[in-house]
Amino acid sequence: MTDLLRVRDLSTRFFTEEGQINAVENVSFTVEAGSVLGVVGESGSGKSVTGLSLIDLVESPGKITSGEIWYNNADLAERVEGDRPEAVDGDFVDLRRLSEAERRSLRGSAFSMIFQDPMSSFNPSITVGEQIAEAAEVQRRASANPRSTRSRTQGYGLGQMLLDGVLPNRSYTSEESWDRAVELLERVGIPDPAERAEEYPHQFSGGMLQRAMIAQALAGDPDLLVADEPTTALDVTIQAQILDLLADLQETMEMSVVLITHNLGVIARVADRVSVMYAGEVVERGTLRDVFDDPVHPYTKGLLGSVPDIDQPGERLEPIAGNVPDLVDANMPDRCYFADRCPKAMTDCLTRPPEYEVSDGHRARCVLAEREYSEADAVPDERFARATDDGTAANDGSTAADGSIASDAEVSDD
Amino acid sequence: MTDPLVTVDDLEKYYYENDTLLDRLTGAEREAVRAVDGVSFEVREGETLGVVGESGCGKSTLAETLMRLREPTGGSVTFDGDPVFDLSGTDMNAFRRRAQVMFQDPFSSLDPRMTAGEIITEPLAIHGVGTSGERRERAETLLDEVGLSADQIDRYPHEFSGGQRQRIGFARALAIDPEFIVLDEPVSALDVSVQAQVLNLLADMQAERDLTYLFIAHDLSVVRHISDRVAVMYLGEIVEIGPTEEIFEDPKHPYTKALLESVPRADTDERDRTVETIRGDVPSPRNPPSGCSFRTRCPELIQPPGLDLPQATFRGISEFRTRIENGDIDVDLRWEQVGDPDREDREAFVDSLREEAFDTELPDAEEETVSEAIRALADGDRETAAATLRERYRSPCEAIDPGLPAGEHPSACLLNEQPEDVETAREEWEADYEAPEAGASSR
Repeated sequence: MTDLLRVRDLSTRFFTEEGQINAVENVSFTVEAGSVLGVVGESGSGKSVTGLSLIDLVESPGKITSGEIWYNNADLAERVEGDRPEAVDGDFVDLRRLSEAERRSLRGSAFSMIFQDPMSSFNPSITVGEQIAEAAEVQRRASANPRSTRSRTQGYGLGQMLLDGVLPNRSYTSEESWDRAVELLERVGIPDPAERAEEYPHQFSGGMLQRAMIAQALAGDPDLLVADEPTTALDVTIQAQILDLLADLQETMEMSVVLITHNLGVIARVADRVSVMYAGEVVERGTLRDVFDDPVHPYTKGLLGSVPDIDQPGERLEPIAGNVPDLVDANMPDRCYFADRCPKAMTDCLTRPPEYEVSDGHRARCVLAEREYSEADAVPDERFARATDDGTAANDGSTAADGSIASDAEVSDD
Repeated sequence: MTDPLVTVDDLEKYYYENDTLLDRLTGAEREAVRAVDGVSFEVREGETLGVVGESGCGKSTLAETLMRLREPTGGSVTFDGDPVFDLSGTDMNAFRRRAQVMFQDPFSSLDPRMTAGEIITEPLAIHGVGTSGERRERAETLLDEVGLSADQIDRYPHEFSGGQRQRIGFARALAIDPEFIVLDEPVSALDVSVQAQVLNLLADMQAERDLTYLFIAHDLSVVRHISDRVAVMYLGEIVEIGPTEEIFEDPKHPYTKALLESVPRADTDERDRTVETIRGDVPSPRNPPSGCSFRTRCPELIQPPGLDLPQATFRGISEFRTRIENGDIDVDLRWEQVGDPDREDREAFVDSLREEAFDTELPDAEEETVSEAIRALADGDRETAAATLRERYRSPCEAIDPGLPAGEHPSACLLNEQPEDVETAREEWEADYEAPEAGASSR
């Protein structure tokens, strides 16, 4: 299978009053053409920012500080080669080295995104059909004038503004785009699409609106759809419908999907490959089978052990002790970020671990990929007591209750 | 079997719209939102009863009404022999000491201006337990017990993480040694790893102190993990209740089956598991369907006597009928699409709509009835169109409201055992039903 996207050492930081926050740190992964990559992690692990970084939607005070995003597109490569040979490698183009305008022209047509909360992603005062038609119109105008990267904003000058003032009902979208919107609504399984297109977002249920948002994202026929927690706000029966729809669209439209979620069940349902994120890093990645059946990183194991199994209840859960770190640069230790919650922390973990290769395509940022755990090298818990006042003392609290249980269980596993 | 600690009998909580003084003066009819619509069950001493359901099914309203945090519009709740809604004065205080609540949102359920110690001791202060020194000591012990440390007693909520705040909320509920705790989605706002910590804590405390829990959640895996018995709610009603094992291994109600099937498993075999998703959305509690509230989405809809179509066909026709009844089909727009402004070619209209509504062939008799309905629709006569379909394809599920029979594992579905009055109603309905000839003009 060919790769659609190769991400190398991507870092995104936020420069806030509280200090620099390393939301995404040296993240690397590959998205194969026509496949689904699942990105899983807890809140604050940097998974959403990773998605936003892919399509260059990180807003101030955030900034992508380093990294390369190689996108496989022969046409684009040919076009860019003349001006910027350093940004081209065979059929791949490094998006980070393109101009702002060139990147913008890829949004919607090459990459598209859907978000968690459909209710707040739509404009409540414009009909759903109009909002989808708008997306279709932008793509239509852009493809009518492919050379110009300005085409989608062009044409809205002072004259247009005055005209809109005089004729407020004048629509930006053409009839053609409206028909396309209705067609898209039908494609995502909305009954009576022509009628529903004229309704407003509040007249849609959550599941219907999520479908509409997917329709909007499909307007430009993208190669890659980034879906950020697309089913989290929905009930399980509706979630099942939306996951079915995504799988169906992915197959028939031959797109790739990056599915961001905290729900391991959703990942298992649709993903081909999985990246597990923790504290801004990808701590383990591989095929679904690698990660779910042979996890190496204790965090991945902990995450899988924390989910109550609906088919095999009754066993005591094995949670991970402590809490997710806050990602403020000044508080991030110069060692494995997971070490202070890790039941198998060893002296090796006091330095930052590189990404080890476990098997072909299966990588983990943990020394356990290379060596067995040995109690002789174990680090005593006190070693991690930190001088910073806030988060640490809090961490100790919950460790007291659950840490001992979890670590006992883990050790006896070996 | 242990005795019930809490008995809920036909509890109702309706919210009314158009119910202001002005509305009454103008004679506007008030509209009921049936959040909890006649719910009966019991919680036995020492058990955890899980309540599951999708958002908007009334689980939280049930919890709040049961605790008398909201006034009910009907029914009764008995707590250890006392009628909760008739209590007052010292009896009410006694009830409040014995029953406590822990809420969902760790961010809004703790007062940001109070320290952890103040939050935990507040119930003690309200009920006048101990001196302030003793109360503080008690708070310190509780903090230790819920897995925090006693020296965090003077911290404010914002200094704690979500999981730790839930621990504080739980310590507050435990403070006055209650027997019964209502846990309203206690872990749904937490990350999985932290959620597991809190679930373990809840289980430990229950074992240690003989607590009785009413555990409300939308996450079925969590409910299965913690509950002894489970009640499944849909649109303000309990559709099935029984021992956890039986509910999960042998669900009887089609809704419970669908719900269980919809949950994605965190397992590598998940991709190959076929999931029959149920269609559509939960109907609005403002205007619930007649008869069985799940019938609009049910994959096992019962057909009238004499009719034996494949389920998909019957469902398809039923859904088409609903679209006509709700006026979802825009006749003008359809004529426009047919491209016949004079509205003469009725057959073109029929073909166009027929093709859009059904992707498969229908048996001849049904084809005829459906076409007849569409012809009526083409003339703009929605009533007749709907009536034509209703006459032949009405289901007992839309006429008869199923109930929960007595027993250990009852379900409110006509496919299963039903209370006697429901059985009688169904027999009467079936005797009444007379299948019209297919295609026979209804006029």
